[in-house]
Amino acid sequence: MAVLRPYLYTGGVHKHGLLIELLEDLGGYIIQKVITGTEVNLIMLVPEKDVPIVKKQSDELLGIIIEAPLTGVEIAVVSPTLASHHLPHSACDVAEYLRHPGANTNMIGLARGMGRRVSLSMDYERKLINEHDIAVFTFGSFSDCIINKKPKLFEGIEIPIVVTGGPDLKTEDVPGADLYVGNIGRTSHRLRKTEEVSALDNLNEKVGKIADNIRKQQAKDPLAVLPARAMKEIENQVPEIRTVLSPAPLTLQLNGLRVKLPYDEFHERLEKLEFDEGVTLSELANISRSKMKNYILIKIKSKSDVGFAI
Amino acid sequence: MLQALLRGEEKMDSLEIFAVESAIASEQEFYRKIIEDNLASLKLAPAIGRIKVVLRPEDSLFQMAIVLRDVGSRVTTIDIADVDAKPVAGEIIILIKKEQYIPELLGKLWDRYGKANISQPDRWTVSISTDRPEEEAAFLKEMMVADPRHRLHENLVDFAIRVTPEGFRVRYHLYKDNRFIFVASEEALKHEWIEEAGTMLEELMEGGKN
Repeated sequence: MAVLRPYLYTGGVHKHGLLIELLEDLGGYIIQKVITGTEVNLIMLVPEKDVPIVKKQSDELLGIIIEAPLTGVEIAVVSPTLASHHLPHSACDVAEYLRHPGANTNMIGLARGMGRRVSLSMDYERKLINEHDIAVFTFGSFSDCIINKKPKLFEGIEIPIVVTGGPDLKTEDVPGADLYVGNIGRTSHRLRKTEEVSALDNLNEKVGKIADNIRKQQAKDPLAVLPARAMKEIENQVPEIRTVLSPAPLTLQLNGLRVKLPYDEFHERLEKLEFDEGVTLSELANISRSKMKNYILIKIKSKSDVGFAI
Repeated sequence: MLQALLRGEEKMDSLEIFAVESAIASEQEFYRKIIEDNLASLKLAPAIGRIKVVLRPEDSLFQMAIVLRDVGSRVTTIDIADVDAKPVAGEIIILIKKEQYIPELLGKLWDRYGKANISQPDRWTVSISTDRPEEEAAFLKEMMVADPRHRLHENLVDFAIRVTPEGFRVRYHLYKDNRFIFVASEEALKHEWIEEAGTMLEELMEGGKN
């Protein structure tokens, strides 16, 4: 199986179709295409050995192509509540910054996450967070709260947990966290000072490493089908997806994808989705109702589960 | 402020004391920034003379004491506009000088004369038709339009809620003359916490330039 590398292309709308066609010929995938005015952003997966060809095409179109290590990663940015104490700064700043390297982020405000003794998360919220690849919890400025009180919000979270907060702590200090990034505490202003932006850069870099680790783990027992390939098949066989107005109607995850179509109406068609090899999607993946709205969540099984991979 | 003058105090500068106390110095700085940002967004800084905030996250406690500056007395029509009586035309022309109080002024005028008798030919002019222009003009000049202290109170409470950690839902506040105390916690408030805030306020009143 070809190794795919994530890239982000930014350039003019003029002739960008050439790049898309080239990518199709090479066997790569377009994950997301965003057109803003006369500019286009393409998030794509490029076969590793063909990267120079794509770069050459991008240079001809006078576009910029950069690596986007968080492509195909869906991140939950969890804020204690949706009150003005936490939003829009700093939780939205964190979510926005994580999107730069290609991630899809969802903001989740807990219903009762605020406070020290009283903070708690609900079963529904935990399940919703667990649908993502990585959870980023945005906490406040007090080390006492972050170390002693807030970690109870991590109970029941099975995905890697990243914590942001004000004080400069070590990851080991925060029980249950897989990564702690300091200098992003509670603020009432936009994060744009040098030290704040470099803290966000630091966050992106380290979250990128976590995503890489998950990918490495996956490589030991690969998925039965690439999420990107399943995505392309859905685009081809379920044309209704084109009418969905949500951003990223098909959201790629490291081990599956979220389809933003109503479950009751479409789950059977997705289960029967057929690949060229003659297998259907339901043989390769678990298709379930997502906790997010009424969407469809597809989690692809590993090769060892299915017995083969396509 | 009158009381302060009677006590022989000099006029306070804005934010002449701005103290934030917490056990850990770096967290103190984070919190100071949060308070600064919220003061700025509510445009409260000019109204506050001295402020002290004490944070004890280990006790889930937030205490704040504020001494306010003179925020100006009540605003009458003559402070914000020129009032001209036109006896021949049977109307009063109000030429606005300070736009910020127009909503309050119009509200009062509508109550007194009815919407039908008031027109606004442009942004800076309000004209009122009445039978007794001169008497009414004399009355209007002295009419109270707004009380900044009332606005200040709203803003202060908003400010206190914004800067307090969100989970601290048990709150106590006291606003009297130019003094403001706010105590918030997650637990039932202890009496000594409020007393401590009162002591903080006393210190603030004595501190600064005398």
